[in-house]
Amino acid sequence: MIGNTPWTQRLLTAAGFFGLAFLTVPLLIVIPMSFSSARALTFPPPGLSLRWYEAFFGDSRWMEAMATSASVAAISSVAALVLGGLAVYGLRRGNFIGRGPAEGNFMAPLIVPTIITAIALYLGLAKVGLLGSFLGLVVAHTILNVPLVIMVLGVAIREFDQRIEQVAWSLGASWTYTMRKVVLPNLAPSVFAAWIFAFIGSFDEVIVTSFIAGKYETVPKKMFNELILEVNPTITAVATLLIAFTVLALAAVAFILGRAGKLKQTLV
Amino acid sequence: MSEIRLEGVTKRYGTFAAADNVDLAVAQGELVTILGPSGSGKTTLLSLIAGLNKPTSGRIFIGGRDVTDAPAQERNIGLVFQSYALFPHMTVLENVLFPLGVRKIGRAEADRLARDALKLVRLDGLENRRPSQLSGGQQQRVALARAVVFTPDILLLDEPLGALDRKLREELQVELKQLQRSLGVTTLLVTHDQEEALSLSDRIMVLDKGRTQQVAAPTEAYLKPANRFVAEFLGIANFVGLPDGGQALVRPERIRLSGSGAGKPARVVEAIYLGQMVRYHLSLDGEGARPMVAAAPFVGPAYATGERVMVSWDAADLWPVAK
Repeated sequence: MIGNTPWTQRLLTAAGFFGLAFLTVPLLIVIPMSFSSARALTFPPPGLSLRWYEAFFGDSRWMEAMATSASVAAISSVAALVLGGLAVYGLRRGNFIGRGPAEGNFMAPLIVPTIITAIALYLGLAKVGLLGSFLGLVVAHTILNVPLVIMVLGVAIREFDQRIEQVAWSLGASWTYTMRKVVLPNLAPSVFAAWIFAFIGSFDEVIVTSFIAGKYETVPKKMFNELILEVNPTITAVATLLIAFTVLALAAVAFILGRAGKLKQTLV
Repeated sequence: MSEIRLEGVTKRYGTFAAADNVDLAVAQGELVTILGPSGSGKTTLLSLIAGLNKPTSGRIFIGGRDVTDAPAQERNIGLVFQSYALFPHMTVLENVLFPLGVRKIGRAEADRLARDALKLVRLDGLENRRPSQLSGGQQQRVALARAVVFTPDILLLDEPLGALDRKLREELQVELKQLQRSLGVTTLLVTHDQEEALSLSDRIMVLDKGRTQQVAAPTEAYLKPANRFVAEFLGIANFVGLPDGGQALVRPERIRLSGSGAGKPARVVEAIYLGQMVRYHLSLDGEGARPMVAAAPFVGPAYATGERVMVSWDAADLWPVAK
């Protein structure tokens, strides 16, 4: 096995650190730059200031993009949670013909290149007249987030002994009562994790959004557009805020799953 | 409190029949064990009665009511699984209160019933523990209390003692039998353990490949099995030839050994000391490879491996069994 001898173990550790450094170096550049006092993107920053944060919070177009991103993420993550949750419950507990293809279909947005999903959604939403609408954006993000919910909740449902539900039914509890009083309380940490993953997934999404959002600007889409138009250090402040938000949200997930003893099962 | 009746119950998965035309009548207050190897369809049968699964054909009656199409919720059944299946997020007391809450029984009355049920399984004092803080035996007692607290019409137990170690299992067998008798609740118990079936049941139903092999009282099933499968599944079986060319079963404890005298000469291939008993594997002179097994209480003279003995049995202890 790899890692048995000191030599291979050291090599593995070195490779791990290299990979980690490769991933974190951009953060080490972006975060200091967001506190820069200079007008242009320069590294290292000549002085420190909060002017780019002021520029971000003082700009109504950024605030509008923030509101759009937050509301799309809030609605689509809850929709994905409800729809994906019901779907995965059926996939794990049901025994029907076509279960494999059905699961493949739900998971497709995660596996198929995003650009293909984007084009499909562009054509599909255009056909039903939702292209460029807020509802269309919510629908697209919901479809993109369902696989994340299915992945996280799928593990949790598989781990939860079905006989516990069967006993509840035999004791006279209806399906919905069993769901509410027995299943959901036990799956709560995973449901929370799935919701956070879906929320971040929507908040970060740029490819599909660029295709279908029309006049709507989300934070990542606006960042991308700003970069093309003019190099403005404001986006480093936005990036830093997004990083902070993501780290905090994932830390919350790790904390809650860790306390429930489910961290390893969900991540592996 | 009710009787159970199965009429031609069949469950097919494609061409495979997990239960094949099963008939059974369990009388009010009776404890019947469904005994069979894994894959014999015994758990399928239980899930059909519990309403977790629908039969392909046949009817199921509980207390004279046809429940074949009724969902599990409406069958008023106490169900206990090998894996306990307690609600992990609830305390012991909350687990036992669950079926009473579903039935909208008043708080004070429910509390009294739940505490009585816990006392019945000797768990009073542990009301506020979580299932994860209990031993396997205690968890199974909670499951039992939860299954009887609402006076179900019938009790279904799926390998209830299977996850427990031997000593605890034997203790709980006695408790389970006493509890069942004092409640007078009609009970079906599924097991693959023939000892458990013999010691607990009023009657045993032996199942193989989804088909009923025999339904009989323990002594009858053991000494007068309907066929070779039942004979071999219920314990060690010796088969001896009959003058008419048929075969007959003789159980190990019915075989007599002596140092000299009448009988067939044999050699002790192996003498296995079991505490209460000694089990002898014998090779009869001039007979096939299959050794005969005798069991004798460890009181009188014992024979050592390699020793020559005389083997005999009473004709009354033979039971003809089809090949």
